[in-house]
Amino acid sequence: MDVVDIKPQIANIPEPKIQPVEIEILPVVYDIIRSVEKDPIDNTAKQKESAECSQKVLELQRSLDAARATIRKLHGIEYSKEEQLRRLESLRKQLALKQQLIKKYKNVQF
Amino acid sequence: MSSYHLSTRERLLAIVNDIEIVAKELIENTIAPKAQKMSSADHTQLVELLVLKDKELKATLQLAAEQAGIEKKMDALRDQVRKQDEEINQLQKQLKEAEQILATSIFQARQKLASITKANKRPVSSEELIKFAHRISASHAICAPLTWQQGDLRRPYPTDIEMRLGFLGKSDLNINGHNMQHPNSLNEMHRNTSAVAAGSGAGGEIPASAQNQFAWHPSGELHMSMGAGGGSVSLDTRAHKDASQDDVEVMSTESSSSSSSDSQ
Repeated sequence: MDVVDIKPQIANIPEPKIQPVEIEILPVVYDIIRSVEKDPIDNTAKQKESAECSQKVLELQRSLDAARATIRKLHGIEYSKEEQLRRLESLRKQLALKQQLIKKYKNVQF
Repeated sequence: MSSYHLSTRERLLAIVNDIEIVAKELIENTIAPKAQKMSSADHTQLVELLVLKDKELKATLQLAAEQAGIEKKMDALRDQVRKQDEEINQLQKQLKEAEQILATSIFQARQKLASITKANKRPVSSEELIKFAHRISASHAICAPLTWQQGDLRRPYPTDIEMRLGFLGKSDLNINGHNMQHPNSLNEMHRNTSAVAAGSGAGGEIPASAQNQFAWHPSGELHMSMGAGGGSVSLDTRAHKDASQDDVEVMSTESSSSSSSDSQ
């Protein structure tokens, strides 16, 4: 009875589905390259284009920094997946052992 | 460089750094003058590398999402483990308390058993106990007589006069070997003291030894009757003593009558 009780208690924790974070850097890079390759003949257009280009470069830098900040805020990625699974297993074993210990304490016959 | 030992976070940051480097390289190549531009093959490779890194980034972000889910599971498990820990601590405390109480009880029970065994080795009959209890209480040593008032000379302990009337007082003063005289005066004296005491309890006790009591001789000496044979022995504690034993005179019966202040 008690063994059956222990397993569902651990397995009953539902695995929440978490959506991956979206980091799009390629479109910005593509934008920059395209606007550089445009290279208009007209001077004013050229100036305008180069101003836009530098804006896009700054934007690229910002998006890279934002990506890094987002990555740092993510939970659960302190370890590699294998290490995390090992820790999960040891945590499960620890819980099972402690539940057995409690059961033993409660059922001890004097 | 193998990335297997790296945490997912480190892998993600490394990929982002790689993407930054490749993108910068591409942009610089684009704005560079024709003479410094790289070959198209290199350019293609660079582009492919960028695309690959982007795909790797996405895959690693997916992995990070999975790990976040696992981490939530682990948090729930840690919560449960913490609760079990608290319960275990509580149980341990209770068991420790119970053990202490039991140990104390066992110790006390053992002591009681030892005293029972010791008592059983030398049993005393209840009749004897009751007899002694009766004797002690009969002499009003436990509770005053019902008619006792303030000023009553009776005491729960043997008074000075009663001690002298007893066996010890009698045997001590018999050393001189004199016979006691005037047993009547002894009884008179005793009646006098009884009258003052106004009690029957003390008087009731004395008759048992009244036959061997001493009496006051008119000369001032104490005389003791010698059993059924009659006669009395004068109890002289002064004259026959040596000069070196002058201190004993202080303890003689003549002066001792005044030493007893408690009889009042």
